[in-house]
Amino acid sequence: MIVAERKPFDEIVEMVAPYKKVLVLGCGSCVTVCLTGGERQAEILASQLRLAGRKKGLDLSVDFDCITRQCDREFTENLKFDPAEYDAVLSLACGVGVGFMSGVLPDTPVLPALNTTFYGAGVAEGVWEEYCHGCGDCVLAWTGGICPIARCSKSLINGACGGTNDGKCEVSQDMDCGWHLIYKRLQELGRLDELRKMRPPRDWSKNRSGGVRRLSREEMAEIAQESAE
Amino acid sequence: MNEPVSKLQEILDAGQFAVTGEIGPPKGTNVEPALHEAQQYLEGRVAAVNVTDIQTAVMRLGSMAVCHLLLDRGVEPVFQMVCRDRNRLALESDLLSAYTLGIRNVLALTGDHVAMGDHREAKCVFDLDSVGLLEAMARLEAGTDLGRDAKGNPNQLDGVPKFFKGCCVTPCADEVEPQIIKLEKKATAGAQFVQTQAVYDPAAFEKFMNQIQHVKVPVLVGIVLLKSAGMAKYMNRSVPGVQVPDAIVQRLTDAPKEDRAKVSVEIAAELIRAMKPMCQGAHLMTLGWDHCVPDIIQQAELA
Amino acid sequence: MQKADLTSRDIAELGRVTELMEREWSPCRYHCPVHADVRGYIEAAAQGRFGEAIDIIRENLPFAAVCGRVCHHPCETNCRRKDVDDPVAIRHVKRFVAELQGAEGCTVHKPPAQDKARVAIVGAGPAGLSAALHLAKLGYRPTVLEKFPIAGGIPATAIPRYRLPLEVVQIDVDWIRAHGVELITGVEVGKDRSIQDLLGEGYEAVLVAAGLAASRTLPLPGSDHPRVHLALDFLTALNFGDRPDAGDDVLVIGGGNVACDAARSCVRLKPAARVRMMCLENEEEMPAWEWERREAEEEGVGIIFRRGPVKVILEGDRIVGLTTRGVTRVFDSEGRFDPQYDDTDLSDLQCDTVVIAIGQMANMGFARGSGLKAGPGGRLEYDPATHQGSLPNVFFCGEIVTPPGSVVEACAHGQRAAKAIHMYLSGKTIQIDDSLPPYIDTIQPETAEKVLKVCRQAIPTDPPQRRRKLFTEFERGYDEPAVLAEARRCMNCGSGAEVLTDKCAACLTCLRVCPFDIPVVTDVARIQSTLCQACGMCIAECPANAIIARGRDVGELVQHTAAALAKMNGREPKVIAYVCGHHAGAADWGGRVEGVEGVAEIYLPSTARLSSAELLHAFENGADAVIVVACPDAADRYPQTADRTRRRVNQARRLLQEAGLDGQALQLLEVADQGRQAIRAALAEAAGKTSAS
Ligand SMILES: Cc1cc2nc3c(=O)[nH]c(=O)nc-3n(C[C@H](O)[C@H](O)[C@H](O)COP(=O)(O)OP(=O)(O)OC[C@H]3O[C@@H](n4cnc5c(N)ncnc54)[C@H](O)[C@@H]3O)c2cc1C
Ligand code: SF4
Ligand code: SF4
Repeated sequence: MIVAERKPFDEIVEMVAPYKKVLVLGCGSCVTVCLTGGERQAEILASQLRLAGRKKGLDLSVDFDCITRQCDREFTENLKFDPAEYDAVLSLACGVGVGFMSGVLPDTPVLPALNTTFYGAGVAEGVWEEYCHGCGDCVLAWTGGICPIARCSKSLINGACGGTNDGKCEVSQDMDCGWHLIYKRLQELGRLDELRKMRPPRDWSKNRSGGVRRLSREEMAEIAQESAE
Repeated sequence: MNEPVSKLQEILDAGQFAVTGEIGPPKGTNVEPALHEAQQYLEGRVAAVNVTDIQTAVMRLGSMAVCHLLLDRGVEPVFQMVCRDRNRLALESDLLSAYTLGIRNVLALTGDHVAMGDHREAKCVFDLDSVGLLEAMARLEAGTDLGRDAKGNPNQLDGVPKFFKGCCVTPCADEVEPQIIKLEKKATAGAQFVQTQAVYDPAAFEKFMNQIQHVKVPVLVGIVLLKSAGMAKYMNRSVPGVQVPDAIVQRLTDAPKEDRAKVSVEIAAELIRAMKPMCQGAHLMTLGWDHCVPDIIQQAELA
Repeated sequence: MQKADLTSRDIAELGRVTELMEREWSPCRYHCPVHADVRGYIEAAAQGRFGEAIDIIRENLPFAAVCGRVCHHPCETNCRRKDVDDPVAIRHVKRFVAELQGAEGCTVHKPPAQDKARVAIVGAGPAGLSAALHLAKLGYRPTVLEKFPIAGGIPATAIPRYRLPLEVVQIDVDWIRAHGVELITGVEVGKDRSIQDLLGEGYEAVLVAAGLAASRTLPLPGSDHPRVHLALDFLTALNFGDRPDAGDDVLVIGGGNVACDAARSCVRLKPAARVRMMCLENEEEMPAWEWERREAEEEGVGIIFRRGPVKVILEGDRIVGLTTRGVTRVFDSEGRFDPQYDDTDLSDLQCDTVVIAIGQMANMGFARGSGLKAGPGGRLEYDPATHQGSLPNVFFCGEIVTPPGSVVEACAHGQRAAKAIHMYLSGKTIQIDDSLPPYIDTIQPETAEKVLKVCRQAIPTDPPQRRRKLFTEFERGYDEPAVLAEARRCMNCGSGAEVLTDKCAACLTCLRVCPFDIPVVTDVARIQSTLCQACGMCIAECPANAIIARGRDVGELVQHTAAALAKMNGREPKVIAYVCGHHAGAADWGGRVEGVEGVAEIYLPSTARLSSAELLHAFENGADAVIVVACPDAADRYPQTADRTRRRVNQARRLLQEAGLDGQALQLLEVADQGRQAIRAALAEAAGKTSAS
């Protein structure tokens, strides 16, 4: 899922400063699971903003709501509040939700309250780690299921660099060396031959370098088109 | 066998023991002291001088320019190239530039992460890794590049470079198998020489050399001058794959301050003497103490 | 039992979340014949809200004070805590709150207008008075006619005073009367006035709740001797201050509760006498409640099993013994009472006094001149479904028509009759829905073992030697600390967590934070009410606001806090203290003991329930400082939650600081169980600290 963390409060305050009536909108999906953008967090942020507003003597009124997903139009139709009544919507969704809501609410500024950080898994209670980079060209088949693009700090594809140290990455002692993990896993699987294979330079065009990506499922997209006609 | 393109290649091809040195470009334009050192202490004593490429991600004067200036002064450079800061277009282009400037020895490296340096907000590139960079060089040498034309055919070059291609390895890494696998891949990708990370344990190095007998590429053992016991301890703590044995640390600790440089030199020379039979050369990294190089070479009985 | 999933829409339709508690009861409530909200009043008591506790009890149980003394408490028998350690001493908690402030201490809910029909009720026992109260609350004008000079029925006239002082009965009677129930004592219906008279006087219905006023007797040769007593008369005489004639060697025939009462009264009449009970049953079959028998034995009463009386042996005008015979069985194969004797097994028991306590029967005097028809076997015609007899406007309730039972059962029956009368007088067909919601199953061993063990508070009782001599009460009630400690043992069954499945993101937080490993997460989280311990941890931590407490309305705490703050208006600074109700510091709560100036104390079942959002809301609603008073780890009812509570308070502090407030304005106090003074001192100090900063 998508993992995000809340922006520094001061940055949020600065963002909403031009507005008087703000709706803090949580998202019931990934960001709820990673404890940053669900209804409770929306409630808390709204409360903090009201407190801060009062402290600073601002004319700021803040409500909160939460919807199942901010990245699908159908869900945006069940709001308890009418977003048109607000000067701005402060979204606690990932960047996808913020962007999508901006399209749904053409007349209302939609502001991001989170920094969308990575695609990750919950590795322990309250701890998430990056597992995938959305690179568009998955290599997990030959890396023992451990992504070198996401979990090697340098996204190397032919093995660890010289910075690997006791299984940790040179970037930080708290960070596992992705290639160390891959090596261990392939060793376990008896598939070190995969590590020996030459990996030619990657095709990054499937990643961001190829420009904006889009997925259209032919069978579904066609139906949608037909019915639109 | 191919004609050697550099003195370094010539020496190694001839099966002679090769010594290389290393200088780091300055942070700024004041390049003269580095050139001077290289000329005064290294010229004539070493086969070639490595020029680091924005080492440890601390922004500095470029390696290519310094290599070029060294050439002007009659010192043969080894152009170090890291993958951190350039995508494949820039790397290929820089290789062509280097060649036209007369640079022949190129050491392909992954490069330290920006997080280690002084521009921590910078974006890491790592479009290619070190294996990919070696492959890119091989392609250029074959007259094409990594790209393709509209029909999907490799692009042809107008004028083809020829390099003496090097790579590095960490012989005393805590986990040596992945190091060896990667070294094999580098060799397959075209590496012609290897300069190692610092080694302080001849026995471990011997073991490593036995393990890579099948890799038919000459190895220059890395010797980093230990300036103090503190530095040795720091390396043990922080430098991956480097283990300074306690006995050496103790010698440095015991040495009176005024004798420290002497002891450093002794240690380096002893290490070279011990490992000379196991490999094809030594790569001396003096970290600014280039003035010690003549003594090391002498005591190591290399002169 | 798999229950249906719940969504936020369901909650919106319900209006109040607490309605959920009506869908599935705690076993104590289910098994209580009047279905008093036991969990609710125990929780109130646990938090020192004694007034609220008695009001909750009285909502269903008019004879709260009487039951506090003599109830056979099926609630306790079925309390789920029995599978953890001991059941909660529910009756003693009730006794404390019911007697604390007497009748004046409880709220009287008079209907807006009491102008409906007049109803006459025969008999001021538990059944009759409960019916009267219920009718009064519905707006009727009930008049209760009682043949004795005092109201209360058997509890007033026959239950011995050492178990139930008259003042205690009076509390209930006074409270009932305060609802506009007219009481006329000293009138025997059937003798002084007939039912027909009453109907002619403008009463639109008559309810007969005459109880079982007469003791059954035995046709034994010699039983007309003056030292052969009938138990009920004997006990009633005692209660009215007479000293019936008893000798030094008493034999009570019977093995029920009445027999126990008679025997124990005899002990008190003549502490030196030998008192024995003799019953047909064996030890296991003996009908008396276990504790009645135990207490009788403690006081020196002997019990002779499996003997039936044959005749009273007289020597001259003195009783010298009783001839008895062996009993081969008491019940037939279907469990019906059908004793069989072995007439070859005869023996004499020495005694000089005999008390016959083999059961009660109705005194049908009330029917004189009523026009009521008797059914087969001389019994009155009566329809248990509608409470009606052969005349449609004459109803029956209580022991006159039910098998002999208990005070609380009589109350339940009286209330049911009142409903029937209400339907009848409203012109509706009498149809009473007796269905009950399901109740929560026994606690599973895996969960039980995780529940902190806390012994039942000992019930102070006079030693038997002292009891033997006194007709005054022998069982002292709990004092306030004991009541708080005991009520705190309640596990709040069924008031726990409920997942709103439409909001649940299956994030696993509940599963991770639950100290009892209760939530199961598949497509969404599910929390089984039979397992949940209601600590509230998951409710406070759920990032989707998808878990609610059945026992607490959403936003209730925030509103409660806002109200408390509004009351403090004009005072600065305003401090809210959220105090763990399972803290003995709650000891003197309830406004009865001085608080700390400027600090409003709000008691929670557990501080684990406080969410960071709720802490922030307190500041939004005007608190200058908030103090969370929790128990130190080991003292907490939910010791496993202490660390998370701590972390949550820290988080809330950071949130406050971000918003530009002083993080020090939120304090966590972990105060050991040292009573009110410790709490006061800690609160005063913390309040000082927070206002200083
Ligand atoms: C000795 C004894 C001990 C008991 N101990 C307990 C105990 O510990 N716990 C417990 O729960 N239960 C106990 N019970 C049972 C309990 O007292 C009864 O279940 C309960 O009182 C029945 O209530 P009732 O209203 O139906 O009848 P009663 O309490 O008998 O009330 C009937 C009332 O009607 C009056 N009355 C009768 N005829 C007329 C008339 N013609 N005109 C006017 N008034 C009339 C009577 O005087 C009486 O006041 C005990 C019973 C007895 C006999
Ligand atoms: S623990 Fe409390 S709620 Fe549960 S059965 Fe016992 S008294 Fe009732
Ligand atoms: S955390 Fe507490 S309230 Fe939630 S399910 Fe577990 S026991 Fe019940």
